Parts: sequence; structure tokens; C-alpha cells
Amino acid sequence: MAHTRISMYQPPDINPTQAAIAYGCRALPKLNEELQSENLRMRQKALMALCDLMHDPEHVYQAIQIGCLESLKALLRDSNHLVRIKTTEVLCIMATHNIGREGFLKYNVVPFLALLLNDPQLLCRLNLHQAYKHLAQLPQGAQGIINSGLIPSLVWKLQREEDESVQLLILDTLSSCLWEGATTEALDNRVVPFLKEMLLSANEDIRAKAAHTLMAVCVPLDGKNQVWQYDVIPILVHMLKDPVQEVQANAAGALMYATVTTEGKYAALDAEAMAPLLMLLNSSLSKVRLNAIKVLTMLAEAPEGRCYLQAQVPVFRLLEDDPNPTVQRAALTAIKVIEWKP
Amino acid sequence: MGTYTYTSQPRALPCQRRRYRDNLMQPDDEPVRFGNIMYDRRVIRGNTYALQTLPLAGQQDPLELQRLQQAKRRALARKRAREQFRPRTPEPVEGRKHVDVQTELYLEEIADRIIEVDMECQTDAFLDRPPTPLFIPAKTGKDVATEILEGELFDFDLEVKPMLEVLVGKTIEQSLLEVMEEEELANLQASQNAYEELRNIELAEVQRLEEQERRHREEKERRKQQQWEVIHKHHETEQKIAAQAFAQRYLADLLPSVFGSLRDGGYFFDPIQRDIEIGFIPWLLNEVDKTMEHSMLGRTVLDMLIREVVERRLDMFEHKYPTPGNRSWQGSSGAMAGSVGPYEAQAPGTSPAQNSFLTKDYLPTPTPDKRSLERGLSQDGRGVEEGDPTVQSTEAGMKQTAELPDVWNSARP
Repeated sequence: MAHTRISMYQPPDINPTQAAIAYGCRALPKLNEELQSENLRMRQKALMALCDLMHDPEHVYQAIQIGCLESLKALLRDSNHLVRIKTTEVLCIMATHNIGREGFLKYNVVPFLALLLNDPQLLCRLNLHQAYKHLAQLPQGAQGIINSGLIPSLVWKLQREEDESVQLLILDTLSSCLWEGATTEALDNRVVPFLKEMLLSANEDIRAKAAHTLMAVCVPLDGKNQVWQYDVIPILVHMLKDPVQEVQANAAGALMYATVTTEGKYAALDAEAMAPLLMLLNSSLSKVRLNAIKVLTMLAEAPEGRCYLQAQVPVFRLLEDDPNPTVQRAALTAIKVIEWKP
Repeated sequence: MGTYTYTSQPRALPCQRRRYRDNLMQPDDEPVRFGNIMYDRRVIRGNTYALQTLPLAGQQDPLELQRLQQAKRRALARKRAREQFRPRTPEPVEGRKHVDVQTELYLEEIADRIIEVDMECQTDAFLDRPPTPLFIPAKTGKDVATEILEGELFDFDLEVKPMLEVLVGKTIEQSLLEVMEEEELANLQASQNAYEELRNIELAEVQRLEEQERRHREEKERRKQQQWEVIHKHHETEQKIAAQAFAQRYLADLLPSVFGSLRDGGYFFDPIQRDIEIGFIPWLLNEVDKTMEHSMLGRTVLDMLIREVVERRLDMFEHKYPTPGNRSWQGSSGAMAGSVGPYEAQAPGTSPAQNSFLTKDYLPTPTPDKRSLERGLSQDGRGVEEGDPTVQSTEAGMKQTAELPDVWNSARP
């Protein structure tokens, strides 16, 4: 029964770790002011509240409109680690929304985030790299990352970082950026040797992602030449026999691009790539089959490859009945190439 | 149609009474005076059982209206009349003005400002307001309790059902939404992956075709280059052969002609012969010349001697047999010519030549011995030529000398 006494206890749903969120449209401006306050506690509480609010895209839009990003940029340099962790978390959540990503690019947040690449706190770096990964999935975002000159530092971090989850995120970011054309910079920074080491790592996710990034590296001609020079092709051939399908698919994809050049073709033939590839043709994952067919097509351009594959044409005929139309087309092209006479 | 309603928030009505005569000020400046409801005309006091009913629908009788208006006019007229009779201060004279003046002993400043006096009062420092003591109303009345048995007030299960339904329903709705969102995201991701695969494959295909194209093109270029080189070599070889044949033919008679021209040019010489030709023969000729000159000199001297002798003999003869000087002169010359020896046709030529000796300078006379040398020596040619025009002129001279030296004429063929 309700008492007539005015209670001294506050209502039960207040979270002491969070700042009070004002009603309606006053919420975000008030939080913005609190973010800029001198009091550490107030800043932390405001950040916690902001984290919760940023899940809503309308709030993200409003936050960017009122210039929360400026205060967040200032907070990135704060000395307290909790503040930094929370700020990066907020930015990461904002990066999952498209408006947030565009806001990042407009307000030039990327270089400020880069200041924290060497942060001692693991969570901070995790959030940071997640934010970058989300940003890199947008083409303009990837361009923004490239323009800020982050590719060399990211490649360096790839080698230096011990923690594997961070490495995975960096690999994702790098592969998205490489598709947008950061390959010359990355190649200058010795990305191929680093990726070569990672191909031999024990963690299968890392192997898969490293092979995926290598695929992006191999697209331009410089990449192909470097990959051949550093003798990565035998390792890729070895990875074709890997038990994990994702790894197989990505390795076949990387090989597909690397064997376009004549040197690459002969390197792959020397590494005896034919047998594993033919085994891959029966795989259940369509991506694996596709990439394997493509590699075989490349190898069939060389006379030795063509000799060997002429005996295997029936296998390709079988693939023409595959449910995936892309696989059918790829099989047809492969047969055409194998049966070509000069 | 029908009822008219008016509602307003209850408010206190300000009094309509004006306090001062010329109160043109807005009521804002002075405090609003609220009228006392007890003295408000509009409030009906007393019993309301027998009230004057208001005219129906506000429409007044025209009579009533007239009467009211007349009453108003009369009141107004009375008021005006009263005003007129009230004593007033006369109007000011021309050029003057009425002014209010204080006539008391002590003048006081008349101002609209209300006299204010500041009053202060000190209290003790404020104490914190003590917390309101808990208001515990005095216990009044009697305590009463009611016993509620199970199932008497309400059935929990029945009542809770709608609430539960709402709660659960909302939760499930929310979770469905989230799941759908995730599914959508997963679908997007899957289609993205499929697109990426396709894109990778197509890109690889494009690159392969490019590479193939490049290889074929290079191969073609190389073959064309080779073919071109072969043809080029072929041409060169042809040209070389043609050039060689031509050169051979051209130079076939080169050697002989070269040698011939060189030989003609006098470049091939027997050194000894050359030496002889260059050194010896001129010397020889010089010596021959000298010898000839010597002999000529000797002959001339001899001639002079002979002439001397002949002249002396002539003189001696003349002394003995005097004759016309000129003819004898010529005859002597002819005799002299004959004395030289039995000579040929050129001999008469020599006499004029000798004449010319005597008259002019000393000239070498052409002799048969020298005939072979005349051809070689140019000096004698001169003598011969000189001799020829004078041949005819001296023929006569020759005949004239016939008388003297018959011996000589007969000697002449």
C-alpha cells in the first residue's frame, strides 16, 4: 500500500553509471554538453548514456547534426582509459549506421582515431578496428582510410599485433581497402611477406582472412609479380589441401589471380597444383568450385597444363550440370580454353 | 440552436468605479482595485422568487426605449445646467495665464513621487529549514479489518491472462523484429558474398583474357618481326650480290686502265732510264751544245780569218785591178760564200746571211754539218728563216759574182 510519506529513496530505475537522459529532443544536446565538461565522472556517465542511445539511427543522425563528433574527437585524447574505451565503442556503434559512416568522413574522424592505434588498452584497439572495418565496407569509407595514409600503419600493425581478434579485424579492413585501390601503398610496405607469414598461422580464421586479403593484393599486376617473387604460390597450393573450406576457397581465389601472369602459371605448375585443384572440384561450397575452375582455366593457358587437362575434360562436362549458373559458365569457358588449338 | 453557454475560469472582477475625476491613466499604473462582491450591483441579493423579468430576447418596447432615452437626455441636461451654475474661476486676461501657487508659509515640493522611506530590520541568520516533521495524523476512528478469502476478490489466473498476453506478445514482437532484422542482414550479406564471388570470377576471367590477348599479340609481333627480318636479310643479300657483280665488272678493267693511265702519266719509269733522261741527256746535250758552239765559234773565227784574208787579198787585188766598189763587195761576199765549200741550195742563202754578219751582228752560219742539228736547235731555224726572204734578192747578187769566181759557180750544182 502506498504511503503518504515522501520517500527518501529515489525511484528504482536510475542507473548510477549513466547520466540522466533528458526528455525528447533535449537528450542529445544535453549529453553533448556533458561530454565537454571538466568533471571526469560526468564525462564517463555521459558516454555510457550515449552508447545506449546510438543504437537508434535517428539519434545517430541528430548527434551528428549537433556536432557530437567534435566532442568525441576531443575525448579520444583523454588520459582516462575508460573514457577512451567508451568513446571508441560509441564511434564503433555509429559506424554500423550509414549516416555514422558518412559523418565520419565529413568530420574527418579517421586521423583522430588513428592516434589510438598504439593504445595499451586491448578493448580500445578492438573497438577502433571494428569501427575501421565497418567504415571500410563503404567504398567512400575505404577511400577515406586510404587518403588518411593509414595503410602503412595498418600493415605494420598486422605484424606487430599479438592479439588474433584484432588481427582478424585488421585483415578485414585491409582487404576492403585493397579492393578500392590501396595496393601500391600496401605493396611498398611489404604486405606480401606479412601475409605469407599469416598464411601459415594456426588459426583457421586468420588463414582464411589472410588468403582473402592476398586475393585482393593479387588483382593488380604489381601484386601478382610480388606474390610470385616472394614464393607465396607454393604455400597457396599447399593451402588448397586445408581441411577448412573457407581457407580452400580463398586460397583458390588468390591463386586464380596470381596465375594470370606466365611466371605465376609456371610457378603453380611446378608446385603441382593440378591434383589438389581437381579434388576441389567436387567440393560442396560453390565458391570453392568456382575458384578451382578458374585456376584450372588459367593453368590451361599454358601448354603443359593443357596437355594434362585434356584428360580431365569429362570432369568439366559433369560440372556443366551444376545448379549454380556461374559454375556452368565457368566450366564452359574452361572446356573452351582446354580445347583451343593455336 | 437553443442554449447558449459561456464558461470561463473563475476570476475576481475589477471594480468599475473610478476613483479620481480625470483618471485617464491606464489601470496598470495603479493597483487594480477589485470590487467587493458584497457591493456589486450585478449580484442579486435578497430573494429571487419575485424578480423583475428581463425583456424577452433583448428586444425592448419602442415605448420603453423612448422613455429611457428621454430620461437619459433629461439627466444630461440637468447635469449640464448644474455645471454651468457652478462658480468657476474666471478665464485669464489676454496675455496672462493662471498658475497654481502655494500660499503657505513653508513651500513644499509637489511631486508625483510617493514618499518612500527605507526601513530595515535585522533578523537572525537563516537557519536551515528543519526537515518537515513526519506528519502522522492522529489516529482516529476505529481499526477495521476485512478478511479476504482465496478466490473472493478476483481470480488471479483469469486476471493475469490479458496482462501476460500483452507482456509476452510485446516481447515476442520485439524479438521477431530483431530476428527479422538479423535475417535481413544475413540475406544482404549472402547476396553480397554471391556478388563478390561473381565479381571475382569475372575479374579473373577478364584478366585472363587480357593476358591471353597480350600473349597472342606479342607472339604475333614477334613472328612479324622475324618475318620482316628474314625478308630484310633476303633483300640485303640480293643487293650485296648485285653490287658485287656490278663492282666486279666495273673494276675488271680497272687495273689495266689504272696501270695504263699511270704509265701514260709517266709514273712507271725505269729508274735508270729516268736518271739517264733527267740527268745524263741534258748534260749530254749541254755538252753537245757547248761543243757545237765551240766548233761554231771556231768556224766563225775561221770565217773571220778567211774574210780578213779575203779582204786583204781583195784590197791587194783592188790595188792591182780597181773596179766599182759595191759589186766587188758583193762578189767578194759571193766568193767568200763559194770559198766555204761546195754546198747545196742553202749555200746562197748563207751569203746574205754573211752579209748580214758584216752589217749586223755575228750570227752562226748554217752549214751542211749542222743540218741534222738544225732540226733540233732552234737557233739555226732563225738563221734559215732569215736567209729565205733574202734568197731571191741575193740571186741577182750571185749572178753578178759569176764573172769573178767561175770556179765557185761551176762548183755549185
